[in-house]
Amino acid sequence: MNRNNFLIHVALAIVLILVAAFAGQLNRWRKHWKAQMRIVPAEEKARPQTPEQIAIAETEERGTPEVLVKFKSGVSSQTIEALEARINDRIVDRIENAPGWTAIDDMDDASPADVVAQYRALPEVEYAEENFAIEIPDAVDSSIEPVRPHDPQFEEQWALSNSGQRGGKEGADISAMLAWATTTGSDDLIVAVLDTGVDYTHEDLLANMWLRPASMTPYQDNELGTVDDVRGFNAVDNTSDPMDDNGHGTHCAGIIGAVGENDLGIAGVNWKVKIMPLKFLNAGGSGNVKDAIEAINYAIARKKAGVNVRIISASWGSTQKSRALEDVIRKAYENDILFVAAAGNSSVNNDRQPHYPSSYNVPNVVSVAALDRNDQLASFSNWGAKSVAVAAPGVDILSTWLQNAYEEKSGTSMATPVVSGVAALIVAEHPRISVDDLRKKLLASTDPIVALKGKTVTGGRINAAKALE
Amino acid sequence: MTKEDAIEKARTDLAQRLKTDASKISESSVEDADFPDMALGAAEEDEMSGMMMTRGWRIRLSADGRAYEYRADKNQLRLYNYKGKNYRV
Repeated sequence: MNRNNFLIHVALAIVLILVAAFAGQLNRWRKHWKAQMRIVPAEEKARPQTPEQIAIAETEERGTPEVLVKFKSGVSSQTIEALEARINDRIVDRIENAPGWTAIDDMDDASPADVVAQYRALPEVEYAEENFAIEIPDAVDSSIEPVRPHDPQFEEQWALSNSGQRGGKEGADISAMLAWATTTGSDDLIVAVLDTGVDYTHEDLLANMWLRPASMTPYQDNELGTVDDVRGFNAVDNTSDPMDDNGHGTHCAGIIGAVGENDLGIAGVNWKVKIMPLKFLNAGGSGNVKDAIEAINYAIARKKAGVNVRIISASWGSTQKSRALEDVIRKAYENDILFVAAAGNSSVNNDRQPHYPSSYNVPNVVSVAALDRNDQLASFSNWGAKSVAVAAPGVDILSTWLQNAYEEKSGTSMATPVVSGVAALIVAEHPRISVDDLRKKLLASTDPIVALKGKTVTGGRINAAKALE
Repeated sequence: MTKEDAIEKARTDLAQRLKTDASKISESSVEDADFPDMALGAAEEDEMSGMMMTRGWRIRLSADGRAYEYRADKNQLRLYNYKGKNYRV
């Protein structure tokens, strides 16, 4: 090989090596681009990736249930499934912690109201209701300016505004001042205080007490005859005077609706509202089932006569179950009246040791536990992951007492009217809200509290500001 | 009703129940107490009461070697768990 041929071969070899190297790099680039530019099949593209997407997809897969149905005890799963097949519906879910309740999706595009009516007509069904959409706000709008009343003892009302006074936890309150930026209540609605009566002459309550409208005739009762119910009802001695001879009912009334911004004493959860005293507890703070029933029947009768009774506040109870009392509370439900009841003060689990009326399985009952100023379940309070709905401040609560006085008291008795008061604020803002929706809105308006985890249905403290969003 | 009134009334009530002389009933202890409700945690059957913590007195009496508990506040006196039942006195 001459010198020229040798140089040509070397040059060719170098070119070939460079070409091979370039081709190898091209191949690597091609693989990389292919990986980057891979065309995703449609079914793969739709596949959810994040936990949120997976949850949404699973819900969409199952369908949103339209109605919640409670079948009577003894109705078997096979019977329910056969029933669903017959009326072309689909079981979406059996609800945990609610025995007998089943979430059902209608496949015929009927309205939820029609589906509810269809189920209520079935002999196997105890109860049916629409599946109400609940939207839980992430947080209260921070742009809202809190409204602070000038009632001189407001600073002591930690339940409404907890600034850490007397060793409390700042913010462990019901966010009343934020709620008041939306509404301070309405005197178009009535909260019945079923208790020891109310001192309707108390200067911090007087303007918020219900009076029978002049156009309305006195109450007629088959047994009692005519009762001149100018200020409410007294079942203890069946007189027309529901004056408080104990103090407990006056205290509860003040929590719900002591007049706000009147330069006197305290502010209620509602600055304006109408309080109807229903006295059935005697001067010692005790009463019986018959008198409680008479008083509830009175409230229902007045509702039917056009008085806008929306809430009954019941800060009392016992461990004795009464079918008659349960039935009259159900009658109140059928007349669109919420029934807020104290969970009890025996430091027991109501799931195992029920307390009545708070443990009655009636759709309008809201059972209330008590919290202290540090967001701890009160040492005396009953609880119940299945049977106690919500908690509210109930220790060292300042409110109205007999003869223009104010006193601090503790108990689920005091937590109950806090929740009744928040319910009244909701009704003030949404006058046409149904009792079912009112209860659901209440239960969706809580701040989660660590101490309540596993102790109540919601695990939270009622928040008035959230309730009004 | 004062604490002293409540103690005296409790002794009289127990003497009547036991059909014995009040002098044979001794006072074991009397202490301030917080009761869970307005029936002082001693509700009678079918009795409803306000769920407010109530300050009062726990009065322990004894007779013939047996112990008895009364509960009282300014409004009322109750005998607690006497033969399995509670009584308003």
